[in-house]
Amino acid sequence: MLLSAKQDWLGNIRGDILAGIVVAIALVPEAIAFSIIAGVDPKIGLYASFAIAVIIAIVGGRAGMISAATAATALLMVTLVKDYGLQYLLAATVLAGVIQIIAGYLNLHKFMSFVSKSVMTGFLNALAILIFMAQVPELIGVTWHMYALTAFGLAIIYLFPYVPVVGKILPSPLINIIVLTLIVHFMGIDVRTIGDMGDLPDTLPVFLWPDVPLNMETFLIVLPYSLSIAVVGLLESLLTANVIDELTDTESDKKRECKGQGIANIGSGLIGGMAGCAMIGQSIINVKSGGRGRLSAMVAGIVLLILVVFLSDILKIVPMAALVAVMIMVSIGTFNWISIKELKTNPSSASIVMIATVIVVVWTHNLAIGVFTGILIGSLFMAQRLSQFMYIESDYDDGSDTRTYNVIGQIFFNSSDRFISFFDYKEAVDKIVIDVHRAHFWDITAVSALDKVVIKLRREGADVSIIGLNEASETLLDKFAVHDKPEEIEKIMGGH
Amino acid sequence: MTAIRKGLILAAIDGSELSNSVIDYTIWICKQSQSPVKFLHTIEHSHHSDIPHHEGNLTPNMKEHLLEELSDEERSTSKQLIADGKIIINNAREQAEQAGLTDIIAKQRHGTLPEALVDLEADLAMVVLGSKGEDHQGEKQGLGAQLETAIRAIHTPVFIVKTPFSAPKKMMFAYNGSPTSKTALQLIAQGHFCDQALEIHVVSVKSTLDDAQVLIDEATAVFEQANVAVTTTALAGEAVDELTAYQQQNNIDVTAMGAFSHGKVHGFFFGSFTTRMLLESKTNFLLIR
Repeated sequence: MLLSAKQDWLGNIRGDILAGIVVAIALVPEAIAFSIIAGVDPKIGLYASFAIAVIIAIVGGRAGMISAATAATALLMVTLVKDYGLQYLLAATVLAGVIQIIAGYLNLHKFMSFVSKSVMTGFLNALAILIFMAQVPELIGVTWHMYALTAFGLAIIYLFPYVPVVGKILPSPLINIIVLTLIVHFMGIDVRTIGDMGDLPDTLPVFLWPDVPLNMETFLIVLPYSLSIAVVGLLESLLTANVIDELTDTESDKKRECKGQGIANIGSGLIGGMAGCAMIGQSIINVKSGGRGRLSAMVAGIVLLILVVFLSDILKIVPMAALVAVMIMVSIGTFNWISIKELKTNPSSASIVMIATVIVVVWTHNLAIGVFTGILIGSLFMAQRLSQFMYIESDYDDGSDTRTYNVIGQIFFNSSDRFISFFDYKEAVDKIVIDVHRAHFWDITAVSALDKVVIKLRREGADVSIIGLNEASETLLDKFAVHDKPEEIEKIMGGH
Repeated sequence: MTAIRKGLILAAIDGSELSNSVIDYTIWICKQSQSPVKFLHTIEHSHHSDIPHHEGNLTPNMKEHLLEELSDEERSTSKQLIADGKIIINNAREQAEQAGLTDIIAKQRHGTLPEALVDLEADLAMVVLGSKGEDHQGEKQGLGAQLETAIRAIHTPVFIVKTPFSAPKKMMFAYNGSPTSKTALQLIAQGHFCDQALEIHVVSVKSTLDDAQVLIDEATAVFEQANVAVTTTALAGEAVDELTAYQQQNNIDVTAMGAFSHGKVHGFFFGSFTTRMLLESKTNFLLIR
């Protein structure tokens, strides 16, 4: 462990330091933008990004992932800040951290397996739309200067990398900020700057306990917010961890990541920062810039703090247009554009799940609700499909006047009606045999459907017998688990 | 080494200087014990990209593009590493064939050496490693970065090669009464590692001679019961100093000892006895956990 820890920290020093600096530069405008979304001073998001990035570098479970203040969590705080103020936000941040640590100990990260690809795509698309929508207020009721500057900023961001040599060395979001600031400053254009949006950090952060009454009332006020923040934070963090796992072909410790996110949020709340989580876009930038180790997140956090504390006077005159341009870039980069093309080729159930997730998120501004909706709809589609895996053959033996039904396949809540309708209740026979040894009864709905069938057939005066019920109902037991025993799986797939 | 536990003798080889020596010692051990041999070369992925990208902007579908780029890059380096490794293990196979061994496996695996050892441990009787690998070529002192992790990862005896090959004659068994050294005592007494080819010196070091003698008596009893002739020495003083001095005075070829009976955290704070012995001795090692 100590050796792998050393490898995590010092295995890629040069790459991590350079990537950390690149990440820090883009983190500054994002942290400010997310503070504006949440309705707090820019310094709240900046302190948060510093605290979260540095703490997660040490306690996180995914080396090379960047965590800081994020849009996903900022969106959840808006009404809390508006109704109760900053101190309650800090309290909610600490409580969200506690909830995340508990979630880590309870192994809740395992529930991520329910999040299908369609839901994940919907999550990202919704996040991109929300980030874009958050920029709209900056672009309404302003002079043409703002539009021109934003467009110019975007052009720099996307085109500067094509400049030979320097294009690959200097981060284009930084060039955007520098160029727009110089234009506005020296041409004296009257547009809003970051300084107009509230306080920037002028000192290093200090420890402070949230100034709220420690009672049940406070707890009940912040709890719903904390729960949402905790869930959304873990969702985005685990999704991002999966993305980084895939990109770097390495594994992460998801349980440790959950607990780490909790510790980072507690740390953020206690130095006056807002809650955050892992950032998909920044983490990808980090990997692309060569960041692989824990050092990159640590460097990102520290460089961010140095930048904002010592350059706060310069930061104040940065026009909002530069920041909006960066956020539009983040929005465009977060959106999964391939998913639009795939709408035509994917099964419609997948598209419906994706679009439903997006609609619910954009509607509620809560990614957790959207994800749950997506999971729910996806599960219904799945149940619908599985219920097709059932059919009944029947045979009639003249000599004994016996009708035999052979039931094959999966019987559960969604297929039980079809199961009942297969039988011919009008046929007058002496004996009826229902052979279920190649069927599986998955729940009590299935069992009661069988009871119904038997009662109905008996009423018609037939002698009904059932064969193979023990085998068919093995799957009923909650402790039934296929695990990885091939012979058990074979039984399910091939009948008993 | 006639009665060595059934299983493969695994030699971990790379392109380092010690690799040839590892192959020779492995062949010697396999001949003594009539065990099958497996040569293993691991292909370690650095997962680092050499192409600088500090644009810092997020472009549409960047994840997909980046994944493609990184996997292409890694594929070409992996291919090269596999090709290089093939030459190394084929050379080892030839040497083993020439030495008269018949039961030879030569394989490559992706991942680090400790990972590979954990995956393969079930079939192994002994692992032969060089004290340092490719990455530490030319460093006079020191141990490979993965050595301790590799030894700690498994519970199979590990033979560590530090010297150019010469057929071992004398083995010093350093006995200090710790749980792992008790295991080592049993295995050695049962003849798991030594036949007539090796002369065994049992050495115990404690702060007082009386204490050391207690340990020697303990060990002697076990060896007598097993009918194995040994030379015994009780010494007083600092263990590492006394043991390395004894190695030199008596031309010891192999030092056998129990290894890493303390946890990693203990080792981190107090320094591990095993690591110090490995660093300061000039003999090869047989470590038993």
